[in-house]
Amino acid sequence: MIELRNVTYKYEDHPVFQGISFRVEKGQKVGIVGESGCGKSTLLKLIAGLYTPASGEIIVAGKSAAAEITKKVTVVMQSPMLLPMSIRENITMGHDYPEEWIDMVIDAANIRSWIDTLDKGLDTYLGDRADELSGGQAQRIAIARAICKNAEILLLDEPTSALDGENAACVLEALNRYAADKTVIHVTHRPEHLSGYDRIFSMKAGKLSDETAGVIIYES
Amino acid sequence: MSVLRILIKRNRIWVAISIILSLVANLTNMIYMYYVGELVNKIEERAVVSMAFIVLLAAFILLSVATLFMNQYVGRITAEKMAHTLRIGYASKLIHRSAEQGKECDTAAAMSVAQNELAQSDGYLTNTFFDITGMLFTGILAMAFMFLQNVLLTLVLLIPTLLILIYVGFSSRSLSTIVSAAQDEKRKMNQAGFTTVHAFPAVKIFEGEELCKKAMDERLVSWTKHQTKVGRFAALYNTLSGILSRVPLMLLLLAGGYMVIKGKILMGTLILFLNLQNSLTQAIMNLPNWIAGFKVFTTNLSRIEIEKRG
Repeated sequence: MIELRNVTYKYEDHPVFQGISFRVEKGQKVGIVGESGCGKSTLLKLIAGLYTPASGEIIVAGKSAAAEITKKVTVVMQSPMLLPMSIRENITMGHDYPEEWIDMVIDAANIRSWIDTLDKGLDTYLGDRADELSGGQAQRIAIARAICKNAEILLLDEPTSALDGENAACVLEALNRYAADKTVIHVTHRPEHLSGYDRIFSMKAGKLSDETAGVIIYES
Repeated sequence: MSVLRILIKRNRIWVAISIILSLVANLTNMIYMYYVGELVNKIEERAVVSMAFIVLLAAFILLSVATLFMNQYVGRITAEKMAHTLRIGYASKLIHRSAEQGKECDTAAAMSVAQNELAQSDGYLTNTFFDITGMLFTGILAMAFMFLQNVLLTLVLLIPTLLILIYVGFSSRSLSTIVSAAQDEKRKMNQAGFTTVHAFPAVKIFEGEELCKKAMDERLVSWTKHQTKVGRFAALYNTLSGILSRVPLMLLLLAGGYMVIKGKILMGTLILFLNLQNSLTQAIMNLPNWIAGFKVFTTNLSRIEIEKRG
């Protein structure tokens, strides 16, 4: 489902990974834990097709071209990355989805009760109001966007790091519910968010280990 | 406006020197004009023009040129110092944010402010601010000076000028509203651009390129529409105020000419008034543009202020 074959990635001529290989099967849930700056997010962005490896191959759902890979994945990042547009446009990103699907999405992302309080509902313009949104509301819009795309693979990059305990629990609950039948790679520095995951990778001092299997996947 | 107050306060010595120099330059220029008028009067009366008078007139010509140069020179330095205070103040405020404030910092908005509002305010301070204040000073001083010379002729000039001022007040207010709307559109356009760059990964993953392009196109069209409206209205109001500004001159020529013919004033006094009315009407003629520019400047400052507080 997701396979990295001898991947090397450099940032401004400095190698971040050199010859990394691993495979994640369809439907597996993989958590990657590690300290800030150890390269977890870079690895996720490589898998998402946002970064191009210097050498090696990344195959996601049978596709290896970056443009094709991005079609197969959906992401929730640390920052919600909202655009100065309406809530609807932020969720659909301009694509046509049936109204029933969007209805299901806002229920799944747990934002129905909040949207119902807005005069213009889903058509509320976020441009000048983005600052007024709480971190939880903004992140739940980002989750709705990820759910709306309904891709086979869900990539999570510290989706709750900017949220307080209550909001984080709410966001995680919405994500876990949606991700039940998806392949998930979840990058976090909080291992407690990964309970029930099939595999836990740990990244430390240039080393990527599969903690579940007790093997070192990569060592720089 | 509190940012403007801070800028003036932090550069108060330079601002004070600029104001004093502006006053001295204007006064010197008026005294020089007064002596030119006196010279014409003496020639008209066929009186002897003494060497001391000619030396005094030459001294005032030189002094007028020197103070004008100093006024412009110090004005530019002061403007640059204020612009520098603004740039450094903004940068320092961003750097000294607490970790908590830094986390909440909207990078897109901060970059937009740095590249647009800050740059425009900087340009306005350096190129326009002291020119405007200098011209306003000239207008006010010219009026006071004319009152001292001849009250009746000043009233002939002043009454239509006051009517023009009412028109200018109306047109300035109207133009300010249009300028504000255009500024707001520009801010939205810039914010959309920076936010799109900031949210690039999301745009890429969710294939939102078309949506962003459409939104940017809409913003650009809307801003262009507003900007064209500003240009159209500024041209209309300035043309009208330009035409109206000739009315006091016509009345001055009529009334002043009549008074010269009747021997109530000398030709030199009329020449002095004709010279000074130019300072007054020029100030009024350009008032809509100045007010619109100042409105843009204060709007920019208030946005910088909001971002600094953020």
